[in-house]
Amino acid sequence: MKRIGVFVCHCGTNIAATVDVAHVAEVAKAMPNVAFATDYKFMCSEPGQEEIRKAIKEYNLNGVVVAACTPRLHEPTFQKALERSGINPYLLEIANIREQCAWVHSKEKAAATDKAVELVRMAVAKASKNVALYSTDVPVNKRALVVGAGIAGMQAALDIADSGHQVVLLERESTIGGKMVMLDKVFPTLDCSA
Amino acid sequence: MVAASQHPNITMMTWSEVEKVDGYIGNFDVTIRQKAKYVDYDKCTGCGLCETKCPKKVNSEYDLGLGKRKSIYKPFAQAVPNKPIIDHKSCRKINEDKCGVCEKICPVGAINYDDEDKLVTERFGAVVMATGYDLFGWQEAYGEYGYGKYPDVITGLHFERMSNASGPTDGKILRPSDGTEPKTVVFIKCVGSRDEAKGKSYCSRACCMYTAKHAHQVKEKIEDSEAIVFYMDVRTPGKSYEEFYQRALDDGAVYVRGRVSKIYKQGEKLIVRGEDSLIGKQVEVEADMVVLATAMVPSIGSAKIASTVGFATDKDGFFQESHPKLRPVETFTAGVFLAGACQGPKDIPDTVAQASAAAVKVCGLFSKDNLATDPMISTVNESICSGCAICQPVCPYGAIEMKNIEERAQGKTIERQVASVNKGLCQGCGSCTVACRSGAINLQGFTNEQILAEVDAVCL
Repeated sequence: MKRIGVFVCHCGTNIAATVDVAHVAEVAKAMPNVAFATDYKFMCSEPGQEEIRKAIKEYNLNGVVVAACTPRLHEPTFQKALERSGINPYLLEIANIREQCAWVHSKEKAAATDKAVELVRMAVAKASKNVALYSTDVPVNKRALVVGAGIAGMQAALDIADSGHQVVLLERESTIGGKMVMLDKVFPTLDCSA
Repeated sequence: MVAASQHPNITMMTWSEVEKVDGYIGNFDVTIRQKAKYVDYDKCTGCGLCETKCPKKVNSEYDLGLGKRKSIYKPFAQAVPNKPIIDHKSCRKINEDKCGVCEKICPVGAINYDDEDKLVTERFGAVVMATGYDLFGWQEAYGEYGYGKYPDVITGLHFERMSNASGPTDGKILRPSDGTEPKTVVFIKCVGSRDEAKGKSYCSRACCMYTAKHAHQVKEKIEDSEAIVFYMDVRTPGKSYEEFYQRALDDGAVYVRGRVSKIYKQGEKLIVRGEDSLIGKQVEVEADMVVLATAMVPSIGSAKIASTVGFATDKDGFFQESHPKLRPVETFTAGVFLAGACQGPKDIPDTVAQASAAAVKVCGLFSKDNLATDPMISTVNESICSGCAICQPVCPYGAIEMKNIEERAQGKTIERQVASVNKGLCQGCGSCTVACRSGAINLQGFTNEQILAEVDAVCL
């Protein structure tokens, strides 16, 4: 039996100025498998994550939907919050109601709220089918390849090498230095470029 | 440069290019093409005798055609490594089987005309891309500046070569056409930058500052000179930058706000016609030399190496970072990091900062012996896999191999082929799941069942 918690984020006014977040949370309560739903100003903040942690314990949740920004931004944040609460991080689902809803529909508030509800409904349906996933370990070969030996390549190679790791500094020309060696004095200090 | 060449942990591979990259974060197998140098670096002492005796002269790439080099050459006297290569395109021995002077004169027998490219494969845990920039080809785009047919219309980089003490003019600013000292030098900023019609939409970020430096150098090096800068805006957002620009003004550089519409030749002079938009009038300057601050564009070959290593580029061909604010030195390919102007135009302070940031990311990765892989990857249901192998060419990461399994069917043991996913290589893109005709491949975390549940939730 799935017990899913839905957490709707205001993102300050980023989402809440367009989407009726309290309404979204209210509708979510009646969705299949949803055991708990709430909204909060900044879900990614310490108190926001604490809400998630508390609800996982209190309602014995085994699925979490966070309706907030793009997963590219905070999916790892919330996955860690799940992990800290003792459940598998892959039981998390993100409904992107900021980039894919509030920001693109800022002039149509009612329709944006309806869309947010639908995005949450989809995420809940997916979370109902989520299973725990486990990563495997691969070994790390501690040698770095730096492609290009101009200023950037030489600096990166030196910093990595100074940390005690082996570096191969690759350069397509017959000398290292890149464009730098063509320059005279450089701004703002007017010292030599080499 | 010398610090990098002398560091015990750094192996330099010059005159080399990346040929092929296999593997994944922590375990990249990189094939490197070591181009033929025709000089045995183990024997060569870098004495330079060959270079002085080589009879063939061609234009020097490092001096941008302002000076000459030999066929066997070091790009410049302080090159690192300080040993020459033979340019096989111009060498008379390699092309015509004549000459051979360098072989005769080399005291240690380091010359080898039969040298060939070598391919070596090595394993790396991380890759830092630092391929830099090139200059926008203004000659094709800006006909009004003469399509490159006036020798005294040069780029900022040409100016650098002349101003450089080890350059072709020993640090003197001279007109390429007749070698005389220019008295009036006009600088034009934003040639190719911030010009969507003819060039690029972006700002190249370093030009305002190096133009201020050039104007300062003209005033400093040439007596009774005039430095006139045509600009759209003066952008000096950096520590001590605005003060530097003010110093150029104090030196007597004249800044004219407006674009240059035409450059043409009149006798020995270049007539630069533009507008001063602050007084709303046309202006004309009789110049001896014009220096263009041309846009930075991705280094030649950027697109090719991006596809070889396997990461994305942006709309202008610069290498795409994972996130413009939060992950500026990572690519979407785990274990591949970015440093310097290959990611976008930037000046030296920013380049150094970004390179150190990329190095820290590499060191962070190397602080672990093992790395947890993302479990959101493809899995094959062997019982329904028909072994058709259609998924194999679809995979952009080469993560699918075919393997043989044994099965009991109708009382007999049969052997058949099925697809198998390499967990390290798979990046979870899902291409194979769509290509699979029998629906045998699923992406964990995005299974067909999960996606259909989403569709049902929104449609039913």
